[in-house]
Amino acid sequence: MKNALGREIPDRIGDRTLRPFQGAFATTPTGRKAARPQKTVRPGENKVLRSIEEAIEATGLKSGMTISFHHSFRNGDYLVNMVVDACARMGIGDLRLFPTALFPIHAPLIEHIKAGVVTRIEGSMNGPVGAFVSKGGALKQPAVLRSHGGRWRAIEAGDVHIDVAFIAAPQADPYGNATGIKGKTPCGPISFSTVDAQYADKTVVVTNDLAPYPVHPFEIQQGWTDYVVVVDEIGDPESIASGTLRITRSPTRLRIARLAAAAVKASGYLKDGFSFQGGAGGISLAATKFVGEEMEKEGIVGSFAMGGGTKLLVDILHRGLVRTILDGQAFDLDAIASLREDENHVLMDPGHYANYDSRGCSTYMLDAAFLGATEVDLDFNVNVNTHSDGQLLHGIGGHQEVAAGAKLTLITVPTLRGRLPVIVDRVTTVTTPGEVIDAIVTERGIAVNPRREDLRERFVAAGLPVRELAEIKKEADRLTRPPRKPIFGDEVIALIEWRDGTVIDTVRKVIGWK
Amino acid sequence: MPKETIVGSENKGDCRVRLTPADSLAIEIHTSNPDLFAPGIEAVVTETLAGLGVTQAKVEITEQGSLDYVIAARVEAAARTLFPDLPPLRPQVARSPSDRDRLRRTRLYAPGNNPRLLVGIELHGADCVLLDLEDSVPPAEKHAARVLVKHLLATVDFLEVWVRINPLATYGTDDLGEVMLARPHGICLPKAESAEDVKGLADELSRLETELGFEEGSTMIMPIIETGKGVLHAEEIATADPRVAVIAFGAEDYTRDVGAKRTQESLLFPRSQIVAAAATAGIQASDTVYANLEDEEGLIAETRHIRDLGFTGKGVINPRQIGPIHSVFSPSPEEIAAAERIVAAAAEAEKQGIGAIAIGGKMIDKPVLERARRTLRLAGKIKEGVE
Repeated sequence: MKNALGREIPDRIGDRTLRPFQGAFATTPTGRKAARPQKTVRPGENKVLRSIEEAIEATGLKSGMTISFHHSFRNGDYLVNMVVDACARMGIGDLRLFPTALFPIHAPLIEHIKAGVVTRIEGSMNGPVGAFVSKGGALKQPAVLRSHGGRWRAIEAGDVHIDVAFIAAPQADPYGNATGIKGKTPCGPISFSTVDAQYADKTVVVTNDLAPYPVHPFEIQQGWTDYVVVVDEIGDPESIASGTLRITRSPTRLRIARLAAAAVKASGYLKDGFSFQGGAGGISLAATKFVGEEMEKEGIVGSFAMGGGTKLLVDILHRGLVRTILDGQAFDLDAIASLREDENHVLMDPGHYANYDSRGCSTYMLDAAFLGATEVDLDFNVNVNTHSDGQLLHGIGGHQEVAAGAKLTLITVPTLRGRLPVIVDRVTTVTTPGEVIDAIVTERGIAVNPRREDLRERFVAAGLPVRELAEIKKEADRLTRPPRKPIFGDEVIALIEWRDGTVIDTVRKVIGWK
Repeated sequence: MPKETIVGSENKGDCRVRLTPADSLAIEIHTSNPDLFAPGIEAVVTETLAGLGVTQAKVEITEQGSLDYVIAARVEAAARTLFPDLPPLRPQVARSPSDRDRLRRTRLYAPGNNPRLLVGIELHGADCVLLDLEDSVPPAEKHAARVLVKHLLATVDFLEVWVRINPLATYGTDDLGEVMLARPHGICLPKAESAEDVKGLADELSRLETELGFEEGSTMIMPIIETGKGVLHAEEIATADPRVAVIAFGAEDYTRDVGAKRTQESLLFPRSQIVAAAATAGIQASDTVYANLEDEEGLIAETRHIRDLGFTGKGVINPRQIGPIHSVFSPSPEEIAAAERIVAAAAEAEKQGIGAIAIGGKMIDKPVLERARRTLRLAGKIKEGVE
């Protein structure tokens, strides 16, 4: 069947009937949320176990089950490998891995996939695991990629049932309260896994810093936690949270950021109470800085900014340019410190900011957002998942929810990355549909979605270089011969879900080149 | 014949081409993603070699995200080094003409042999771009640089583009022979010290224009004055030839030449001399670059200072300096209003056939009218861009 964007979607994959994407806000959820089994813990019971193996035994984890993880340790995470290694040693296989995201550090999983220890993955795959899975034939069922809010929704809706949630915690107490913003190796919020902790049959908190009761803020709560495991090392601090992220120095990228900030100013949304989402990518970081400078100049006080948290955003809060930061992730140590110390820097989970099946999302309160893309097409569809050669590259992150929510969604991209054109006739994979994108900001000008004639008029009136997307594309295309395009076969490597659980696109195996 | 030649680098945005003699044509491509890029790169290499008439060579190319014109330039430079008798490629160029009196608040320098820094150089909103073959290019790279600049000139639409060649006594003649094939709007002559220097360049340009079928006199000249002698001869340099549209000041070399420290005081004499020379010739004066990229306040202060001295523009070494300089040169709303009144009065006077223009009984001189017109042009220009 074809979905609303004309993308071919299979009717069924394995045990799952697929629903095609119908439009950004087309579906309405029915039914009730899923739930975990009831349980009680009586006074005096001990939750602390000595090892991962002990936890695997205690939880009753068996072959064929689903285990989940969060990605807040990013490329410094040791836990995924520790747990899957232990399962392999204990003869447990056929596992469905349900992480929020995998990173290059998880490359050892490739051997476990080959050996049948892991047979399914539902989660973002950045790096070697994605490249391996892209080759096809590796997994029993296609991978499933979900946005932050989409993953949350899938758990609540019972689309994905987690048997055991393993939660890496920078600090926890023996009773199962845990936080990501304290401890020996803080990683920022671990709130991505609060839904895992509440819906999994069993929840295991793993920490390298067991602190006296009560550890707070309790992002993970005692009432959700079955077991606590203490390990010597839980991650590589160098790769968990970075020092201060640097703003791009590339003149092209700075120009894009300046144009994006000028677009925000021209849009009419930049006034008292303004809210925005600042990313951690080079261009969005710079755009955030320029918007902050504009607010300072005009004496505008914003209502809130959304992260991932960075030093830059913290500075904007401390200069009084916004009243609040809402953070689901923190990318540098300054942002983590601010979460500990500043009551206006608020921890937030994806259920709060991004869940389609909920009574409200923070992203719906956003005025403006800067988002990236690997490709953009002439229908304003955006790809962040695959490279132009068809390989799985990145997860969705919060891209869909921010784009769907913000009044002004700007995609900030250079027209060329080396020899690779970013603006294409048709994106390799649709992550986010053009209907929720307002404008594409490039170094060669700004293309406004025809749905936003109002914006186009404002931009033109402000003297911004507004151009047709096709014209920008043509200018960039003059600089390189077109790269070849992959020819896709029938085998589906991955499903890309829209945030409501419908399938917006599939990633298929590359079988040749044209 | 040399055994092999290597041109370019493996830096981002560039490619390294290694050429060796062979019995037939063999092309070997190393790229980050051969599935995507190898056929396109091969097509560029093949076409470039075919254009040059090379049929026997082994080409090894290692590229790091280089655009087609960079690849073509590297291949051409390598081929002409290996086979020195090959004539240069003459690219198709559709250059829209530029107005010699147009605004030049900023002239953005770009090093002629660094592809990464040349990508998108035309997009930053500078009033003109200046591709440099002189100070930023080491002697060993002069040949590769002038070929690269030629291909860039042929590929990109510039509002206005100049090439700073080397002095004619060193590499300048070869620079001209190459870059004129792609018809820049103007040639920037460094270390200009006399009318003869300018006339020498003008003669060479006339010869090339005739040879290439361009209108004679259509290429502008911007002498850069950067020695004590040049400063003393500023007037003869500015008036040496009708091609001269701008004279520019180079403070770094000047202070070295005269043994001065760079201060506002030490530069006051050369700057004033250059502005006066430009006024005598009826052309524009453009100030030296401000080297400290991090110091935006200093840049703005210096730009105000040189604007008040009479300069109409300034050199720029990084695109981020463009915005601050343009804002200094932007007239205030009051200045615009005053200028509008003057121009309107002039129009009225002309309509009534009166020679003298007056506002509120006060006579308006011709230079005042000219300045008012210039203010309005500045204002109109600034409305078009975001910088």
